[in-house]
Amino acid sequence: MLKATIDAEIFRESIDAIAALVTECRLHTEEDMLVTRAVDTANVAMVSLELKSTAFDAYSATAGELGLDIAKMKNILGMMGRGDALTLNLLDEERKLELAFKGYKYSITLLDASTIRKDPSPPTIELPGKAVISGSALNNAIKAAAVISDKIALGIDPDAMTFYMEAEGDTDHIKLALGEDELVALNPVGARSLFSLDYLKDMGKVMAKADEVEVNLGVDHPVKFAFDIADGNGRVEYLLAPRIEAD
Amino acid sequence: MRCAECKGRGMCGLPRCPITSRFHAQLRAKPSDHYMGGAPAVFIGSYGYPKVSGGPLMTGDLNDPPAWVAQGMTIDDIVGLRARTIRGTSDTGRLTGSLQEIALSSSPLDVEVRFTKPVGFDLRFDGTVAPVGLSGAIRKMDVLDNARVDRAVDRITADSDLGAVEACTLLHDSAIDVYRISELLTTGLLGRKRHIVPTRWAITAVDDMVSTRLKKEIVRMPPLEEYRVFCAEIYGNRIVCILAPGDWRYEMIEIWGRQSLWGGETEAIVADGEGLKKRGYSPIAGAYYSARLAVAEYLESIRRSARVVLIRSVSSDYWAPLGTWVIREATRNAMKNSPVVCATLDEAIAAASRLAGFSHWLGHSRLIPQMKTQKTLFDFSG
Repeated sequence: MLKATIDAEIFRESIDAIAALVTECRLHTEEDMLVTRAVDTANVAMVSLELKSTAFDAYSATAGELGLDIAKMKNILGMMGRGDALTLNLLDEERKLELAFKGYKYSITLLDASTIRKDPSPPTIELPGKAVISGSALNNAIKAAAVISDKIALGIDPDAMTFYMEAEGDTDHIKLALGEDELVALNPVGARSLFSLDYLKDMGKVMAKADEVEVNLGVDHPVKFAFDIADGNGRVEYLLAPRIEAD
Repeated sequence: MRCAECKGRGMCGLPRCPITSRFHAQLRAKPSDHYMGGAPAVFIGSYGYPKVSGGPLMTGDLNDPPAWVAQGMTIDDIVGLRARTIRGTSDTGRLTGSLQEIALSSSPLDVEVRFTKPVGFDLRFDGTVAPVGLSGAIRKMDVLDNARVDRAVDRITADSDLGAVEACTLLHDSAIDVYRISELLTTGLLGRKRHIVPTRWAITAVDDMVSTRLKKEIVRMPPLEEYRVFCAEIYGNRIVCILAPGDWRYEMIEIWGRQSLWGGETEAIVADGEGLKKRGYSPIAGAYYSARLAVAEYLESIRRSARVVLIRSVSSDYWAPLGTWVIREATRNAMKNSPVVCATLDEAIAAASRLAGFSHWLGHSRLIPQMKTQKTLFDFSG
């Protein structure tokens, strides 16, 4: 069971965060929050999202699971404006989700959750390096690197006390180093891993809206990006596997 | 821009493409100012768009590339057959009704045509459309038969509230081949705002629309379990295709060997690829979309998603550009052959190099290094 009312903008933000990686997911309803976790087809990137009941104007739910066509949701939410109140109503027997806003009433047929990949269990990894940076600065760096290359190195230099990003194209090179002044926080443990910009570009667009993004790094290890949505009433985590340079 | 990317579109600014005009072969045709016989297809030129001219293709033979391949016709046979074909030209407004009737019919219609003067020999090649030898300006044209229309074609062309993209995918679902669909599109029988569309644009548009939709279905399917390498060759076009487990990615590497049609003195290599979305028109042009269609059809039939690296290597045996149907049929043939099954990417690369006869295609691939270096999250959950 799910019956809830939420600012359409907040809901759209949540859907966009998932849509950056997958086109469908299992959304779990719990008594005090909505949760989902999904990996992309190639098992390279994972998104975890939780949206607490406090993000909603009204929320009542029991534990359950629904299969959501994220691509379709994204199109529907495109019609809504900031400040519109969106009411979600799960019709369990019919396996439909009703979305009501401004007099419109959408009834969306849900996917059979058993046809969607099972929720992945997050790998247990230690990522000692940590930097906290504004989302827009991170997204800009990703966009700058994408101009010349298809991969980017993210790292922390403990000696220079910087968080840096570096990309190498066929002929060109770009480096951006951010010192403590430009960062919100830095845990100076040496780290460096290489990532595919294909994935980062889509994540970057979502992260650009966050004031602070926590970046966790290791040496040739996945990167974890964590940031708040819905004014702190929700949290998104992205995990992205690295590329290991051939020698 | 290199010849291998332009393929006779006239990007060099010369009045005639120096490569296609090599084929001004001689043909003894009795100059006649009328024609009565079969008109299996329609051709609309792109010159002067949107004020284009076009008309029926007139020949007693079939206009059916898959059949040409199945009958084992050689490249010389096909050029000979097409050299005898007459391309009627007229401004399209006057003839639209008759052209639509020809396009709708599932079997060739007979026409009676009077030309303004005896037809002239004018063998034209372009990279996308099969060549045509004779052309004549139409004074008067009558369609003699009634069109025989498939039920699906009838239903979909009659629906003017159906967008062209949906129409193409519905037709493809009804087992209407892309050759027929592009005929319908070129004569302005599909979509909400209907227009005559130049034939070479229609061919690629249909390949793109159908395969983009197939791609969206493939993305949702479970990944392939092993590496498969396919190979086939027609008319000096060797297609080698690696399918790798994973989400949909497509990369095509086109290699024009030395002394081949668009290659010239040195080898010319063009590569392009895509993920879920494709931005802009491919530098490989129509061939990219034709090959993608054939691969997507295969993946849809086995209900698996995969990463695709497709190599097209062209030798000097391919002496005349016959149209992108060559790549479509070559790739379809490749996917029909039984594949070499490999356990690892390195084995698959070695098999592909062996089948292609060379290995330097690897340096032009962006997808292969990506697959080799990209770790998955599973690698860290041990």
